[in-house]
Amino acid sequence: MTDTGNEMDDDALAGEYALRLLSREDTRRFETRMAQDPALAALVRDWQARLAPMADELTPEVPPRHVKRALEARLFPDSARRMKVTRRLWMGITGGAVFAALAAFLLLLPQIQSPGFVPQYSAELMSEAEGLRLTAGFDPDSGTLILTRMMGEARPGRVQELWLIAEGEPAPVSLGVLADTTEIRLDVPADLIARLPGATLAISDEPPGGSPTGQPTGDVLAAAPVVKT
Amino acid sequence: MTTAGDIETLIARVALQDRRAFSELYDATSAKLFGVCLRVLKDRAEAEDLLQEVFVRIWHKADRYRVTGHSPITWLVTVTRNMAIDRLRARGTQTEDINAIPAPRDQRPTPEAQAIALSESRRIVACLDELEQDRAQAVRGAYLDGLSYDDLAKRFDVPLNTMKTWLRRSLIKLKDCLSQ
Repeated sequence: MTDTGNEMDDDALAGEYALRLLSREDTRRFETRMAQDPALAALVRDWQARLAPMADELTPEVPPRHVKRALEARLFPDSARRMKVTRRLWMGITGGAVFAALAAFLLLLPQIQSPGFVPQYSAELMSEAEGLRLTAGFDPDSGTLILTRMMGEARPGRVQELWLIAEGEPAPVSLGVLADTTEIRLDVPADLIARLPGATLAISDEPPGGSPTGQPTGDVLAAAPVVKT
Repeated sequence: MTTAGDIETLIARVALQDRRAFSELYDATSAKLFGVCLRVLKDRAEAEDLLQEVFVRIWHKADRYRVTGHSPITWLVTVTRNMAIDRLRARGTQTEDINAIPAPRDQRPTPEAQAIALSESRRIVACLDELEQDRAQAVRGAYLDGLSYDDLAKRFDVPLNTMKTWLRRSLIKLKDCLSQ
């Protein structure tokens, strides 16, 4: 090409560099110059911006789902484990626990009582293996959730933590550590009140003070759906 | 539809390691970037693998985005294309393989696509159209397919130096056209 001045040469060279057309040696030489010459770097940047709209000619294609799953498992291994816990919760729920919970709930309903508290929703959290049974009553008007411990307590040196698993929430949300008392009163945060009906409550076994990660870390002891009273 | 401003916000949140923003950014841009990977690599499994690498890079380097001064899509496309070409070149020489690469089709978008295209992309298409057809195809082959000068010279059956001259002249013409 006939030289029309260094400036134009550099501009074309920057374009070739942006297109990745330069040989390995020329690329190295160009990058050495660019490191010392911001104007050259700016020329490359301009070319990148000029050329990028060519990608609009390409047909976008939604990648298969497994790509995103693999990506997130790779970047966020802790939430992959969290998903496993969630899945375990759901498996527990679908494994007949719902029916058992509902049956028990009907029997135990009258025992939920606290002055002035009218639960519109309830859940029955129980585990035969754990010897655990708690009834939960929820009043969405006040956001009050009252759990009555019918049977069982936390494992020695451990605590029980209550979780909300709501549709659309990527992970369980902690509602608090449960005291070993008969009646446990929790105020559900305002933004979660509407999520409770139809969601699932679950109790996990955690170290003192509750889960250190903000997600269930120990065994899932019981889980049950929140149903209309 | 996600606007450039939305994507910019998402990238800023990803730079703060916001996982939900990362997921949204993926949902908003992965189809476009996957299109870039597929076009350069022409191999589905490799393109999927690369797309993952691209988003790993985005997760770790989102804080660098601002210093590039690019629009968000330009940055994402440039990162993706460069990584795709790195992978293409790492495969080794393409020369034996060149005939396996589909010949460049006329990539002019359909009228509908054109209607929704950004003004920028309409401009570059219009400017490419002002070049002789084979020169425009050579520029597209270099950018979209990641072809090297050797590949291009073989593809268009011209001497290497002729191809270099074509490309450099075409670039200058493109720049003039785009700056009008």
